[in-house]
Amino acid sequence: MEKEYFIPKNHLLCISRRDFVKFSGMMVINASILGRRINELGKEEVTWGFLLVDMKKCQGCISCMLACSLVHHGVENPSLSRIQILQNPYGCWPDDLTIAQCRQCVDPACVAACTVGALAPDPQFGNVTRVDQEKCIGCKRCISACPYTPSRPVWNFEDGYSQKCDLCAHAPHWYWDESGGPEGKKACVEVCPLGAITYTKVVPDQTREDSYSVNLRGLQWARLGYPGWDLPLLDRWLAEKDKGGIR
Amino acid sequence: MNGYAGKILSVNLTNHTVSELPTRDYTNWGGGHGMGSKLFWDLVDRSRLGTMRAFDPDNVVTIMTSPLSGTLAPGCAARTEVQGIGAQAYPYEWFTRSGFGGRFSAMLKYAGWDGIVLQGASEEPVWIDIRNDTVAIRPCAELSLWGTDIKQCQQIIWKYVMGGADTGNWFGAGSGRTTQLPAVLAIGPAGENLSRAACLIHDAANSSGQGGFGAVWGSKKLKAISVIGTGSIHVYDPRALLQARIEQVRQYGYHYDKPVSKSIPNNFQSPPGQAVVWEIIPFFATRGGKRPAACIGCHSGCRRRYASGIGNEAVCSEAAFYLDAKSRQFIYQATDLLNRYGINSLEAYYALHYCKDLHAQGILGSGKPIDCPLDFSEYGSLSFIRQFLAMIAYGTDGFGGTSDFGQHISQGIVRAAQAWGRLEEDLATGLLPYPYWGYPIHYDPRAQLEWGYGTILGDRDINEHCIYRLKYLGGGAYFGMQRPPITPGQVVDMVTAKMVPFENDPQMLDFSTDNMYSEHIARLVCWHRFYTRYYKQSLLFCDSRWPDFINPYAPHYEGSTGHIEPLLIGAVTGETMSFRDGITIGKKIWNLDNAIWTLQGRHRNIVQFSDYVYSFPFTTIAKDWLGKQNGQWQYISVNGRQLDRQGFEAFKTLFYSLQGWDTTNGWPTRSTLASLGLQDVADELALYNRLGSE
Repeated sequence: MEKEYFIPKNHLLCISRRDFVKFSGMMVINASILGRRINELGKEEVTWGFLLVDMKKCQGCISCMLACSLVHHGVENPSLSRIQILQNPYGCWPDDLTIAQCRQCVDPACVAACTVGALAPDPQFGNVTRVDQEKCIGCKRCISACPYTPSRPVWNFEDGYSQKCDLCAHAPHWYWDESGGPEGKKACVEVCPLGAITYTKVVPDQTREDSYSVNLRGLQWARLGYPGWDLPLLDRWLAEKDKGGIR
Repeated sequence: MNGYAGKILSVNLTNHTVSELPTRDYTNWGGGHGMGSKLFWDLVDRSRLGTMRAFDPDNVVTIMTSPLSGTLAPGCAARTEVQGIGAQAYPYEWFTRSGFGGRFSAMLKYAGWDGIVLQGASEEPVWIDIRNDTVAIRPCAELSLWGTDIKQCQQIIWKYVMGGADTGNWFGAGSGRTTQLPAVLAIGPAGENLSRAACLIHDAANSSGQGGFGAVWGSKKLKAISVIGTGSIHVYDPRALLQARIEQVRQYGYHYDKPVSKSIPNNFQSPPGQAVVWEIIPFFATRGGKRPAACIGCHSGCRRRYASGIGNEAVCSEAAFYLDAKSRQFIYQATDLLNRYGINSLEAYYALHYCKDLHAQGILGSGKPIDCPLDFSEYGSLSFIRQFLAMIAYGTDGFGGTSDFGQHISQGIVRAAQAWGRLEEDLATGLLPYPYWGYPIHYDPRAQLEWGYGTILGDRDINEHCIYRLKYLGGGAYFGMQRPPITPGQVVDMVTAKMVPFENDPQMLDFSTDNMYSEHIARLVCWHRFYTRYYKQSLLFCDSRWPDFINPYAPHYEGSTGHIEPLLIGAVTGETMSFRDGITIGKKIWNLDNAIWTLQGRHRNIVQFSDYVYSFPFTTIAKDWLGKQNGQWQYISVNGRQLDRQGFEAFKTLFYSLQGWDTTNGWPTRSTLASLGLQDVADELALYNRLGSE
């Protein structure tokens, strides 16, 4: 009986060795070119904007995904969402859940991989980098080139083109009075009921994977019984206490 | 068809064939329960309903979504409705319902299906693999699924369906791609072994508990249904849906900058994760990191996930199942065991305490009149509860050996008590607190009138907290443990104004003893049956978040129920309907359900509570029921009262009369059915001499 209910460690959301190597390589490249690109892009009048998330707070309702597909496509479809929430119901907090939002990379591999110039800053939409559907030939190179897992460019299999987060710059089914885009609102930020997504104009450290994660919990969150702190060692110790030796 | 996928999957487990039914033939039933009842009526052999039992291969089981499933409609996008002849009720195995949250209904819609109908029974254990339009009935033997617990089963299926793809990455599913885990609804060992306490469970703890549908699946040799979908749900007016969502959550949802109370349980304005019983009590609370865990689209998830991973997503009675364990950790671990075996928590809770009481009386134990292999000196330990749950799940001594006791409690504690020759006596004294249809007590019918009446006039413990939650006003839980700054009279006026078609009858909420058999309370029960049948069980508004009657964040504290429901439905489907229209559809569904029960043998003479409800007074120290005393609306005590048999008989007559049914037997009449567009149902009842007299 004891053996039958031994609970194995969960491997669902582990980073594979391949992903680690791929990610590390891209970080090195990003670090080497970061300063240069900021200067260049500044000249090109790229509008910076970044979604930051609190993966320790998110409740996994995927409302952000539903809002994303709704404002862009007028339908509810998580597969068409440009932000993805991945979760394992049996996982251990905080590793049970990952928010995969486009990082709006300073030197985006997806843009570099596009051979037809379909991915580029779009002056019509606040200079945010987006996919021109008419130019996209559906080669999926941008998807393969993305150094992150899951890839942030999303394959729209319903219409046969790539798409990526445009910070809601071009959202045909937009509802708010204020427009979307780098200077406006973002559907995922507005819809998230817990305030687990925010937006900044400050460029996050491109050399660190966790620079897009922030603590959005605050005192009231702690008052509700959730950890407002970021103390992984304490969390781990307390979790071991709760396991009570069974695992 | 905005909101709907357009087709319903029909699975014949006997022949291992699948086919499609057009959803458009059923949309006038809304979705969920309405569609399920109509499908059951259409597909079951009605000539056999009088003798058909839960494990009959001809039992039809429906698993239905709603047009709001998988959308941004807050607190109403994630429930799934399960129906069929249930295995739990005693002595009559009624056509019944259950439901669960999570991701399943949304994923089914994304896969292009509004629901699933199961017919027949397989000879070999099978599971159903749905990947968008591609459906396969696969033998469990391929993956060694039969015999696995709920967690093992889901993990095996996830891996298989994802085809070895990295979790946490995109993978191909039919014609599309997704990052989401397949949504799996499964039975555990309890269901496989036909325990009548068996659940269907999805993810860690989304349980379709009441009705014993786990055992029904077990009888059909169906281990699991897995679904992965990548398609789109079309929305009639995306902007209107966003507007309704944003405004509803911002206006009526929990205000982090203006917290009224952190302990508001199960309301639209509740903070996230507050329905986990062990988390509410500081001594029992988990100590490490945690997050709220929400069903799809919910603005405030009621569950939690923990740094230990133990007890993830358990809520309500699951989390209270073993609170008297010797160690805090055993509480969470016992809950995990419960969910991995796939056992109904409330049934297990009352079975445990009944056995404990009989042991204390020297009746149950090793070598006692009820010979039981459990060592009660170990009560509170993990090994004790593990053995107890294994007995229920496997019908053994808990270690794989044969045991009459294990066989008995595996059949549910009411049937066990019958086997031990104790049922009549213990239902008369209340030692076995099962007041209705073989279901355990939830909220006492002597106090919470709409709950008790609704259950005995229906098929199962209703588990609908719409009216019950008004007690929180008296207890103060809405307003930071303070009584609200509105009077009981204002509450009554505000709530009853929305109770169409019986609106503005304040006496409907008078829970005082003088009013307990009145036509006003009969109206309340009617309204509650209609409201829940449509809004909660067909449109699948979650019981944990709806209705929104009284809301501390709302202007004048008046919640959004009445105006928000039609807005959400209209935005998604394009249908223009009023709140009252929904109540009317609820009445139609309730009438069809009663027609089915009538064909099963329902008669007013058997609509009776257990004897103890009439013989012993209800005791409480609470003083938080709405009631009128000395001409004034107050929060009153209902301590010391019991039901009166004559009073209840008079109440049934009033209720049947309000329904337009034959008061002599409780059967539907032709005129009532015809007024609801159910002439064919009237014809069918007439065919079997079950049509009520006018």
